Amino acid sequence: MENVEKKLREEAKGLLAEKKVDVVVGYEKGTLPLTATPCFITTPEEADRLVWNPFCVLNLAKFVHDLLDQHHEAQKRVKPEARRKRVVGVVARGCTSRSLVIHLQEKQYGKDEIVILGVPCGGYLDGKKLAALAGGEEVREGALDEGKIVVKTMSGERQAALTGLLADNCLVCRFNRPVIADIQTGEVPPVAEAEREYDPVTAFENLPPEERWTYFEKEMAKCIRCYACRNVCPSCYCRICFAEQSQPRWVDIGADPSDTQLFQLMRIYHMVGRCVDCGSCTAVCPMGVDLRKFLKKLDKDAFTMFGHRAGVSLEEPAPLSAYRETDREDFIFEPGKKSEA
Amino acid sequence: MTDKESAKEWEPKIVAIVCNWCTYAGADLAGISRIQYPPNVRIIRVPCTGRINPFYIMRALHEGADGVLVSGCHPGECHYITGNLTARRKFAALKSFLGYIGLEGDRTLFTWVSASEGDRFAQVIRGVTDAVRALGPARKLVKRM
Ligand code: SF4
Ligand code: SF4
Ligand code: SF4
Repeated sequence: MENVEKKLREEAKGLLAEKKVDVVVGYEKGTLPLTATPCFITTPEEADRLVWNPFCVLNLAKFVHDLLDQHHEAQKRVKPEARRKRVVGVVARGCTSRSLVIHLQEKQYGKDEIVILGVPCGGYLDGKKLAALAGGEEVREGALDEGKIVVKTMSGERQAALTGLLADNCLVCRFNRPVIADIQTGEVPPVAEAEREYDPVTAFENLPPEERWTYFEKEMAKCIRCYACRNVCPSCYCRICFAEQSQPRWVDIGADPSDTQLFQLMRIYHMVGRCVDCGSCTAVCPMGVDLRKFLKKLDKDAFTMFGHRAGVSLEEPAPLSAYRETDREDFIFEPGKKSEA
Repeated sequence: MTDKESAKEWEPKIVAIVCNWCTYAGADLAGISRIQYPPNVRIIRVPCTGRINPFYIMRALHEGADGVLVSGCHPGECHYITGNLTARRKFAALKSFLGYIGLEGDRTLFTWVSASEGDRFAQVIRGVTDAVRALGPARKLVKRM
């Protein structure tokens, strides 16, 4: 990863020096051990802060959207002749690039407003798996050494292979090479076990319905409605989200567990053909809600029903804004016929 | 809900969201032809099935509907040409997802009834009412307080 980092800094420096971009969204070293945090680089000198390593967790497409959206909004209050374009550079791994594709397809900004610095991705460190390794104790020091994660806590030192600590979505990632990039750095590591991608979904589908409902109930009961999952999700960019909308009010904020179930159901449904399985929502959830179990089902359905994978091609329209005459009809109710469950 | 269950006279409440041009006209035809069908449906008329936000369906279940029926023009006969074709995709994904989290499949039903199919409309309502009755009162996703 050293070389990638070096190349990345050089490219970012060049882009900023030549004024090809106004800002580069990337990752810098975090304040805690084994973390990296999103950062905004605006001068060539700062470019050396950029890092690229397995601690880069969040999907940066969210910030690209925020920056450009704010800029577009601000430009409305400027005289037409004084308007200017803002170009955002972004460090993008596979899933980030897919989110960018979704934004482009949904006409959130133009391709000329972004510069994509593609980086190879071998997956990121899962916070929960790391916490388990540290035995729930505070990680005082940590290092990544030749594929091994070493952590020091109050009670001593522990280590484990990085591959065993990668996030679940990274382990089965099909697109660890950016689907679009203006500048590509580094070699792309071998594809993960993508064919096992839907195994957890299939296993869940095979459980009896009551067990599935109990699991849904149990997971959603953990949710405290902090909306961190939505705020971090690149596909959740609505200025007014249904969750806060008051006319009409779609979902209440009450003590009734069904309110939260409804909120989750609605947000998750908005991800049909739009979730890139970046895992950001799961990573930021303070309550450890198993969102992925449900999001991945939509992904599977979008693929099996409509042959669609989210954000993979600029040409292919989003599944719910398109149709085929031959789309499945087997769920249509026919009186007198026993419908499938 | 338990008191409701124990009550022998429980009758399913079904919300039927239907399009103006086909199914609503089909319901009208059933009415003027004096075809009998169960009174368990509350019909909501919308311009087109493509106009139905899937949130309507979720919200209806949340508010305590025992079943939700959506019906529009047959594919290829949509007043707005393709409204029901995009709707079909939305519903396929929704129904599959609701089933995945453990909701009974027959709580949410989708079908097509054209303006000339008054008898089909009555059959559909009979079929849906029977299917929902067999499931008993809705428990999942229902708001209680
Ligand atoms: S729903 Fe979660 S995994 Fe999917 S795109 Fe949004 S943040 Fe990423
Ligand atoms: S949950 Fe839905 S309405 Fe809210 S921000 Fe996400 S996509 Fe938009
Ligand atoms: S981040 Fe977790 S707790 Fe917060 S709203 Fe999302 S699922 Fe609920």
